[in-house]
Amino acid sequence: MSNLVELNMGPQHPSMHGVLRLRLKLDGEIVREIEPIIGYLHRNAEKLCEMDYFCDNIVYFDRMDYVGAMNMEVGFLEAAEKLLGVEPPERAQWIRVVAAELNRIAAHLVWMGAFGLDLGMLTPFFYCFIEREKILNIFVELSGTRQQYNYMSIGGVYQDITPKIIEEIKEFIKQFPKKLEEIANLFLKNDIFLSRNRGLGVIEKETAISYGVTGPILRASGVPYDVRKEEPYLVYDKLNFDIPVSQKGDNLARFMIRLEEIRQSVKIVDQAITKIPDGPYFNPKAKKSLMIRLRGEGEVYARTESSKGEFGVYIVGDGGVKPYRVHVRSPTFKNLSIIPAVAKDKMIADLIAILGTFDLVFGEIDR
Amino acid sequence: MVEILEEKKGKDGRPIFVIKKSDLLEFMRQKKQEGFDHLSLITGVDRKDYMEVNYHLYSFSKNQYIVVKVTTDNLTVPSLISLWKSADWEEREQYDMLGIRFDGHPDLKRMFLPESWVGHPLRKDYDLNNVQYINMDEYGEDYATFDPGDGW
Repeated sequence: MSNLVELNMGPQHPSMHGVLRLRLKLDGEIVREIEPIIGYLHRNAEKLCEMDYFCDNIVYFDRMDYVGAMNMEVGFLEAAEKLLGVEPPERAQWIRVVAAELNRIAAHLVWMGAFGLDLGMLTPFFYCFIEREKILNIFVELSGTRQQYNYMSIGGVYQDITPKIIEEIKEFIKQFPKKLEEIANLFLKNDIFLSRNRGLGVIEKETAISYGVTGPILRASGVPYDVRKEEPYLVYDKLNFDIPVSQKGDNLARFMIRLEEIRQSVKIVDQAITKIPDGPYFNPKAKKSLMIRLRGEGEVYARTESSKGEFGVYIVGDGGVKPYRVHVRSPTFKNLSIIPAVAKDKMIADLIAILGTFDLVFGEIDR
Repeated sequence: MVEILEEKKGKDGRPIFVIKKSDLLEFMRQKKQEGFDHLSLITGVDRKDYMEVNYHLYSFSKNQYIVVKVTTDNLTVPSLISLWKSADWEEREQYDMLGIRFDGHPDLKRMFLPESWVGHPLRKDYDLNNVQYINMDEYGEDYATFDPGDGW
């Protein structure tokens, strides 16, 4: 005999981080069965990529993880430049690292604020967004836009970094760690926050690996996997930083991992900003008039570490000016697939808290 | 014994193994025992007269990455859901986008599009002029409808 209540949650729901729809089977307040239904933001970016030149595809990647678009651009260009045989000059590589790490900080701040909102904490949200706004202002000077930058292009970056922007970044890095501790204290000195998250939503190491989970969630479960260390791209092998790992695997561990990652990103930007070498910021082989004539043949998979996990781009070229097939390994798509296993037999309010730690961005899941 | 038809290196230096479709499950089981515990990606490629399926495997302990490639004429490939749980959604996505059926998948349905959608968008012969709309009925089920005529 079953008296389970079927409940439809989303796609329009305040705590669903976009357009996630969950079909729940409830036994009182306890969730017995979860079925995520996605696709409400599906634009088929992969098909759109096949219809455009390599250099034009970057805009579709900007719109995938829209809170961490610089990381998406890095991911696509890692694959596309290998396929097309265009090497970015060293200055461009350092600029990309600075931009990607600043964007990682911004993306984690968005997550942190939104996670607070999920748990009913309104104040940290504003503190997080004040800091994020400072980063976005830097990006406005760097690229001209706040979120969908289209800043990097095949063979380098579209615009050079100026001494003024470097000064602004240095200034930001100088004041940010103190503000970050203030924000962290809002969470970590709050008893309700701690008791709601400690021991909740534990993901075992084996389960996480089997479901293909990556990023902070996997590191919170005890696997020290970070592409920046395992297969360094750009100039990450010349930088000194640590990969935080926790063995606990619960909500609080995931929070602490992301908090520590922000600190490590600050460390990376701090080192990289002083090391940017002089020289060209653009490979003349891929200058604007020649860019659409670049041809790619063969197949390339490149993985990078975005703020959500391993972001991989697989491009198959048939020797034409457009890619033959593009496939994106989006980290949140795989991270979301573990939800039915993790949040089963939990209270419905805890389901929201667990979902909150997954850092879902629907531009990337639905593509 | 598993026969490897071809072993080559991709442009990014990753080894690519081309094997027969009938050997896929056995080969993958061997690879999993060798330590490839992470199925990263399943990609179908429409080569017009046949379909190609690429499996990307990664080993956390060895930090190795390989690609396994099979081809299929009749749009069916064995499912790997018994080895890796992550195969579930990956296979559903490829079924949705390319219409590849994965034998042995317990719940093979579309990932992004509603069940009533006509065609598989990433196929090379997909008709982009065929405009379809998604609606939701009173029970919250999605269904696709067609453009009634001249429209736009």
